[in-house]
Amino acid sequence: MSGESRPAWSQQFAAAALRQLKSTGPLGGIDAAWAWGGSTGRGVKVAIVDSGVEADHPAVGGQWRGGVIVNYDGRTRSRVRVEEDCERVDLYGHGTACAGIIHSLAPEAELYSVRVLGRDLTGRAFQFAGGLRWAIDNDMQVINLSLSTGREEYFGLFHELADDAYFKNCLLVSAANNVPGASYPSLYSSVLSVAAHEGKDPYTFYYNPSPPVEFGAPGIDVPVAWQNGSTIVTTGNSFAAPHIAGIVTLIRSKHPELTPFQIKTVLFATSANAHRT
Amino acid sequence: MSRRKQGTEDESLAAQLGHWLTAVEASSVAILPEAGNELLQTIVEAAARLFGAAAASIALLDESQEKLVFRVATGAGASEVIGLAVSVGQGIAGYVVATGQPMAVSSVQEDPRFARDTARKTGYVPKSILAMPLLYDDRPLGVIEVLDKIDAPSFGMQDMELLGIFARQAAVAIRAATFQRNLRHALLAGLQNLAQSDNSIRFDGLEQVMTEGQDPQGTEQILAVARTLSSLYKLGDAEREACLKVLEAFAVLADSRPRPGR
Repeated sequence: MSGESRPAWSQQFAAAALRQLKSTGPLGGIDAAWAWGGSTGRGVKVAIVDSGVEADHPAVGGQWRGGVIVNYDGRTRSRVRVEEDCERVDLYGHGTACAGIIHSLAPEAELYSVRVLGRDLTGRAFQFAGGLRWAIDNDMQVINLSLSTGREEYFGLFHELADDAYFKNCLLVSAANNVPGASYPSLYSSVLSVAAHEGKDPYTFYYNPSPPVEFGAPGIDVPVAWQNGSTIVTTGNSFAAPHIAGIVTLIRSKHPELTPFQIKTVLFATSANAHRT
Repeated sequence: MSRRKQGTEDESLAAQLGHWLTAVEASSVAILPEAGNELLQTIVEAAARLFGAAAASIALLDESQEKLVFRVATGAGASEVIGLAVSVGQGIAGYVVATGQPMAVSSVQEDPRFARDTARKTGYVPKSILAMPLLYDDRPLGVIEVLDKIDAPSFGMQDMELLGIFARQAAVAIRAATFQRNLRHALLAGLQNLAQSDNSIRFDGLEQVMTEGQDPQGTEQILAVARTLSSLYKLGDAEREACLKVLEAFAVLADSRPRPGR
């Protein structure tokens, strides 16, 4: 897919560009109160595939339940080595930011850190894929992916993983690239692809009827948790994805029977630009 | 030259080039972008003006791929930041390079480690920062940062998207400059070996050029140059000297003329 001719993903959620949609028939009966009212995310395992999660950061609320570090290892068939995360730190702060957003929405969700980013730049796509594989194989119900790859040679690798997740009832929530262009797995139809909008209400999100990026959530000048117990104010699609991951976690907790495509439908029906008729 | 002999030599050459490529791929050798500072300086000055930033800088990955070294800067704190090396494994610049994703932060000072380290080293702590990876074919070369938007508290998504386009151009320019320099080195190294009348032909430096394998036309040209060089060693000393002088003169001429990026 050529990215050059595409508009920046977040522009589709700007006030002037936002399309008003109709939520018709029985879909009109689905609202936020039904979808996630009273839910805390209890019992749902959420993986944050990122730079690690600082386990004792106040924003994580003690909900860190485990983690792994995925290192590149060219000698293995999968090119990665997965080991338990005994350090429980975040190399940059980015993973903790995502975990903090998810926790703020779904305070009882069980958070798992899958650290795939680090100082070794050699095999980052393999680390990313290996981390995603670990999360799928370890029964994570929601996986937040605020990272992506734009390299065409990994299209197949990530497509297979995304399909596998979908068939195993695991929801991938993927941030669109911040600059126009291809980014995998955010452009696959089986994932929830998210870009940033300017709003601040964490429960307000929009549906874009012209995918591949289907959802818009807060991600502009949002305060987030960062390294060493700190907080920063930052901007990026990276921070929009965990807002949707948090909402999805609430829905999964309250309605464990729903499959990925049904949850996507619920999100459409509860998006702020879908009007019940 | 007989067809069979030509075929054997082509195979040998192909094997040699294939060996280099494999070696480079296997060891993931980092190619330090060696673009002239003048080019980079022009890029940061343009970026600062375009984005209404108080300062801008470019850091490039070093050979080990473990450090980002600030090569050029403009505006506040510029002279202090040049030469500063930061680990790829930490900080906003490190994150941006590790993920290939840009990042905008509007309250940098609230990140205690960033504030402390940067303030100590440069005497300047920006309030807002927009950091964009310099990617060539999705491989990181470094990072460009614009700091402290003058007429707004932070850099927005539109700034991010525009800087992304700008960074893509900058990365192509840096890569083109690196490629030209490596090609020149390879040619001279090959010719120097040739001049030594040694039967074993070596083209030191070609492997570096061959890592530019994304460009089929460039690869074809290099193969053609290599084939020509391999046939020259059978000439007499005088002819070889003459060839060498012609090519060196060309290299000097090419070096002295401004060239557009590819």
